[in-house]
Amino acid sequence: MSRTNVKQNLDARRVTQELFTLTYGAFVAQILNDYEHVDEVNKQLDKIGYNIGVRLIDDFLARNPNVGRCHDLRETADVLAKQGFKTYLGISPSITNWSPAGDEFSLLLDGNPLTEFVELPEGQGQKLSYNQMICGAIRGALEMVQLEVECRFVQDQLKGDNATELRVKFLKKLEDALPVGED
Amino acid sequence: MVVHSFYVINRSGGLIFSDEHFIPKIELEKTFSYPLDFVLKQGQKGVNVEFGQRDGIKVGHTILSINGVPVQGNFIDFSAPSTTANDDDQQISTSTSHDIISYLSDSTNYPVTIKFGRTRLNSNEKLILASMFHSMYAIACQLSPELNSSGIRELETDQFKLYCFQSITGIKFVALTDTRQANVDALLKRTYELYSDYALKNPFYSIDQPIWCPLFRQTVQQAMDLLEKTGSPYT
Amino acid sequence: MVVYNLYIFNRNGQCLFYREWLRRRPGTMTQEEEFKLMNGFMHSIKSFVQRLSPQDLKDGFVSFKTNCYKLNYYETATGLKFVLNTDNNVGNIRDILHQLYSTIFVNYIVKNPSCSATDIINTEQEIFIEKLDEFISNLSIFAQTNKA
Repeated sequence: MSRTNVKQNLDARRVTQELFTLTYGAFVAQILNDYEHVDEVNKQLDKIGYNIGVRLIDDFLARNPNVGRCHDLRETADVLAKQGFKTYLGISPSITNWSPAGDEFSLLLDGNPLTEFVELPEGQGQKLSYNQMICGAIRGALEMVQLEVECRFVQDQLKGDNATELRVKFLKKLEDALPVGED
Repeated sequence: MVVHSFYVINRSGGLIFSDEHFIPKIELEKTFSYPLDFVLKQGQKGVNVEFGQRDGIKVGHTILSINGVPVQGNFIDFSAPSTTANDDDQQISTSTSHDIISYLSDSTNYPVTIKFGRTRLNSNEKLILASMFHSMYAIACQLSPELNSSGIRELETDQFKLYCFQSITGIKFVALTDTRQANVDALLKRTYELYSDYALKNPFYSIDQPIWCPLFRQTVQQAMDLLEKTGSPYT
Repeated sequence: MVVYNLYIFNRNGQCLFYREWLRRRPGTMTQEEEFKLMNGFMHSIKSFVQRLSPQDLKDGFVSFKTNCYKLNYYETATGLKFVLNTDNNVGNIRDILHQLYSTIFVNYIVKNPSCSATDIINTEQEIFIEKLDEFISNLSIFAQTNKA
């Protein structure tokens, strides 16, 4: 596989949003068919997201050399919403509902490109957490920078809620995994 | 200005990528008559010059071939068909092979043509050096007189410089250059981008495992070439 | 520019002398352990550099930098090792270290009949310490920060 013009490959970063949305949709629909339980599907989506997140974080850091290690969850929330979501999904969710202890916050997603054409099927399908991949990706990415978080959707417009709200809860700092010789 | 080589070390100190971009070939062949005025010593990788430096042959150089026949570690076999140079240490002693040091101390074998030179690092040595650097990097913070020091970013010797960039996720990108090469930090940043593109985004690449991806190697080599020619790793 | 501290090791790896002018990080280990670690560290770096080098080395290891300090290394043919930590703005100070060896160490330790160049330099060697302090504080790299 010799690709002569690597440079061109790099620039071809943009595919149409429709193709992406349709691909994700087809993919979710397929695993919904393949698994018996919706819970299992949600789990798989989360896992896939996780695997994406652990890779994507390096892409993000490589391209944003000004982003350093976060020492505060507010900083993390900010980078996540204003830069992470912006870069990879083209949206900037708002950060709200901070817990009093400052260890938990919500991201309100407006105009999620993943769900543009989606309506959940009746029955089992109503339990599907269609965007679960995003949760997995956040969890995976933050784990690679030594932050263990829990991530879930508490409201979903697909299920008739008023908003799509993603809740991120800080669990602990993974001190053991901290690379030595960090400043 | 030269970039000698480039390495990627994972978070547990394992070498997951290495590329030799430009390693000067240091080899010298000369014919000698008895007695040989070098003090030779058996080493892990063959017979080394321990003392007696002359005509460009320096202490630390290894005997690479005798009378045109490549040596096999500390031994030489003139009857065996010359095997292709192997990356790994060969310490084969067969019935027809001679111990190099005793062969060279026998006056009947002279005159003899010996090729001396610096041996290349084999893959095993590279692994050892990578994990050595991994721990040296950590010790540099432990011995810092100043608070919150990072590990080694730049190491200088009279012949080469080593630059290291560690990502927040703990991957180390290391480049070896000559002492005059500038802008190596930009090269390391660039290789981080290439790593995130051609290794991490490749769905068949597993994290922390050796990077086999041909496109990664290709683009890293391009970046090194560019840095040498234009002073910047970017087109 | 800042000068932090100086270690002198003999060829057996014993720390003959340690002096600090500035140190912000408190030691996480006993001084003895720190000396051992530093000596072992220099030993590893030397062998690392020797094995990794694509070319024949002359002096070998010269210095390394982290984000906040620079370790400068100088070894004499007799196996004395000088380790001087400075900040990153300091250039190549091999000459300075050589001078430190030739004018201070040789004059006030080696030529001093009351002490030996291979023994630990105790605090009774006041002239040496005084001359060393004078030498370091007269260096252009020993700037305001140190004096404050």
